[in-house]
Amino acid sequence: MAESAQAKAVAAHGDGTRRDFLVLTAVALGGIGAAAAAWPLISSMNPAKDTLAAGAPVDIDISHLQPGQQLVVLWRSRPIFIVNRTPDELKTLQDPATAGQLRDAASAILQQPDYAKNWHRSIKPELLVLVGICTHLGCIPSFVPTPGGSLGSNWPGGYFCPCHGSRYDLAGRVFAGVPAPFNLPVPPYNFVSDTVVRIGENPAGSTFDLNSVQQL
Amino acid sequence: MRTIIAAAGVVAALVASAPFGFAQEQEMPTPPRQAWTFDGPFGSFDRASAQRGFQIYAEVCSQCHSMKLVHYGDMGPSGPGGGLGFTEDQVKAIAAQPLVNGKQVTDGPDEEGNMFQRPARPSDALVAPFDNDKQATALYGAVPPDLSVIVKARAGGLDSIFGTRGPDYVYALLRGYTDPPADFKPSSATANYNEYFPGHQIAMPPPLTADRVTYADGTQATLDQESYDIVNFLAWAAEPNLEARHRTGVAVILFLLALVGVLYAAKRRIWAKVHNAEHAGAD
Amino acid sequence: MAHSGTQNRLVRWVDHRLPVFTFMAHELNEYPTPKNLNYWWNFGSLAGVMLVIMIATGIVLAMQYTPHVTMAFDSVERIMRDVNYGWLLRYIHMNGASFFFIVTYTHLFRGLYYGSYKTPRELLWMLGVVILLLMMATAFMGYVLPWGQMSYWGATVITNLFSAIPIVGDSIVTWLWGGFAVGNPTLNRFFSLHYLLPFVIVGVVMLHLVALHQHGSNNPLGIDRKGPQDSIPFHPYYTIKDMFGLGVFLLFFAAMIFFWPNALGDSQNYVEANPLQTPPEIVPEWYFLPFYAILRSVPDLWFIPAKLAGVLALFGSIGLLFVLPWLDRSRVRSARFRPIYKWCFWLLVLDALALGYVGAHRPEGFYIVLGRVATLYYYFHFLILLPLLGKFERPLPLPISISAAVLASHARPAAASVGKA
Repeated sequence: MAESAQAKAVAAHGDGTRRDFLVLTAVALGGIGAAAAAWPLISSMNPAKDTLAAGAPVDIDISHLQPGQQLVVLWRSRPIFIVNRTPDELKTLQDPATAGQLRDAASAILQQPDYAKNWHRSIKPELLVLVGICTHLGCIPSFVPTPGGSLGSNWPGGYFCPCHGSRYDLAGRVFAGVPAPFNLPVPPYNFVSDTVVRIGENPAGSTFDLNSVQQL
Repeated sequence: MRTIIAAAGVVAALVASAPFGFAQEQEMPTPPRQAWTFDGPFGSFDRASAQRGFQIYAEVCSQCHSMKLVHYGDMGPSGPGGGLGFTEDQVKAIAAQPLVNGKQVTDGPDEEGNMFQRPARPSDALVAPFDNDKQATALYGAVPPDLSVIVKARAGGLDSIFGTRGPDYVYALLRGYTDPPADFKPSSATANYNEYFPGHQIAMPPPLTADRVTYADGTQATLDQESYDIVNFLAWAAEPNLEARHRTGVAVILFLLALVGVLYAAKRRIWAKVHNAEHAGAD
Repeated sequence: MAHSGTQNRLVRWVDHRLPVFTFMAHELNEYPTPKNLNYWWNFGSLAGVMLVIMIATGIVLAMQYTPHVTMAFDSVERIMRDVNYGWLLRYIHMNGASFFFIVTYTHLFRGLYYGSYKTPRELLWMLGVVILLLMMATAFMGYVLPWGQMSYWGATVITNLFSAIPIVGDSIVTWLWGGFAVGNPTLNRFFSLHYLLPFVIVGVVMLHLVALHQHGSNNPLGIDRKGPQDSIPFHPYYTIKDMFGLGVFLLFFAAMIFFWPNALGDSQNYVEANPLQTPPEIVPEWYFLPFYAILRSVPDLWFIPAKLAGVLALFGSIGLLFVLPWLDRSRVRSARFRPIYKWCFWLLVLDALALGYVGAHRPEGFYIVLGRVATLYYYFHFLILLPLLGKFERPLPLPISISAAVLASHARPAAASVGKA
């Protein structure tokens, strides 16, 4: 009896390692299975196909947009400012006095595509396209194109954010000393024709992605 | 144990005899079971046929039938299941061209506050022939059903194991227009006789005939071919994720088989102690 | 349990303030479980797993579903087409309801066969019946949500049942509907309640487990544990066995979801609800068929109109389950030792299947007869057979103990013998 008990003890010990391996494999496979099962639950919360399709580029007709006027459209649930800038406003943009008030006059920080990295922050100087969301905390800045007025005698015209007082010029460049840290972003866009602007699509040759900017 | 087997036999007999297609209880000829490429656990769609089927929908069916749950873009590469094999550009072109019903998408309001018509985009649903059911009834006396999930909504749907399935029913229906038998008493003067429609009197006149459409890929457009193609399109439209479902299913079953094997071995190992003790005690 | 280093200190810190680890150790490691449980005892844990699966899929589905009559059907189709893995989540949830009932009915019939409802487990059993009722309410409301033809007309038929209640019936129905018929208010409140009830089920399941742990599991022999030689710790023996059973179950579940996801459903529900057109057949889901058959079997009974009588018979059939511990007074639990009851059990199973078969067909001709016979037999089984058997059945002699019986079954055939009474 003692011998068989001993034999049993040896067998049990040998069983022990085999059983640990099996349990380990089972736990590992089970873990993989659980992760694979959890993934669809999490992935389903990502934007669905129709939501993504609704984010496709939109064509905007600017033939009725008068000089000095702004048009606001929605693209990917965000307001897009489209402004027809007057020659006077373009002159003010190039004025060094204006540039002195700005935080990032040369648009050094990535807030715009390469084709908008110029003094007018756009493809054609007279047409400005911006994402109308303040880079501070996300409010929609008001369009205040007229110089002077209640915003002070050296107000060159631009945008004023009512939430915390951030200011931008008529190229969407942020003023120094205001809460907002960055220039208003410029979305991908291109001219389908002289009167139709497509928001959400780069001109041929550019691969700019709006998600790459510093602050949307 | 024997009682369990006997009971299982009774259950099997009952299940096999119970028509699970509960909805169809009338004395109707059974649509013959066809072999579809999407049948079975490894089935997939015949995309060439489904593309021809879309042509039939666009040129014939969309005169009266909407497919509001299908979007133009669904047929392209970003659509569910990878679409029907059309490219993004083809989808844009298909969307821009009106279906045979000639309707455009109602959009707006514009800056003046008015609604306006525009051509469809890939993100739009297939443009419906009617704005509402009342318009359809006024024109045709009945509302042509939306076809988005029709093959799942008829007979035993896509998955019936024993009875008729939706695709078989639609296929048979489209080819089932015949002259009524001599003793048939119609209850409607305007209805058409169809072998497979419940009650034999269908408001829809025969929609398909030989060469009703000219296929873009040059396939001969017999009635059988057209019916086959439209059903393939409708099956895809009803269940565009079918192939992903089958693929994932195979992977899951294989994984579970492996897991069950390991778990069984682990269970036997762990329980060996108990069973051995029982054996030892029995000596 | 041996822990090492910081885990031990962390474990002790937490446990001193909230004894989760002691609790888990007691309930899993030390908790004595009969050593002779067979695979019919897996179905309780399977039901628990199904509850978790239904809640998890249900929560993410609810993120995408719109409970408005003009948008519900379309939102479900959007889930099937556009939502990432939406088709999978929907099919899991849809078939999960069926598998939840398969598992629960099996669990219930296991209880009937082995006398798990008998003293001291009467409350455990009754809590189980409460869970079944809550499941039925949840499933009924859930089926309305896709707003197909069966959703709408099934809701109409079943809510109309309450008008059978004398005097207050019509007011109750209007109150349930929130309007003059099943409509948007009804859909909205069903969505709210369908989200709520599963969490009520979770609470009752916890009570169910507490009641279970009071006296531990029953076992196939139906005799009490006499000592430590009769039991083994739940962990690792039954944890691994439950895992294995779960794996096998998931194989069947996966096969259904991925290859025949609509086989248990009604194709009519892929037609959007039309209040002006009744479908040719109004059939509930398979798990309600036996009850549907009972409902329709009962004719006018003296002064009780058929509609009310049917409703009473329907609720009575579940009510009988509640009082089962007092109907069956046999002191022998397991059907293994009750040869006549064993036959009655299988006849009851056959009866349930017959009722299901009847429920799937129109109440005409043969189906009416079969339905009435089967309903009568159901009541006969509980109200007459069981009390009589309890009094007059002569059970087989019981084994002395669980371990004795297990040892005897492993002994050589010549020496095999069950302890004499």
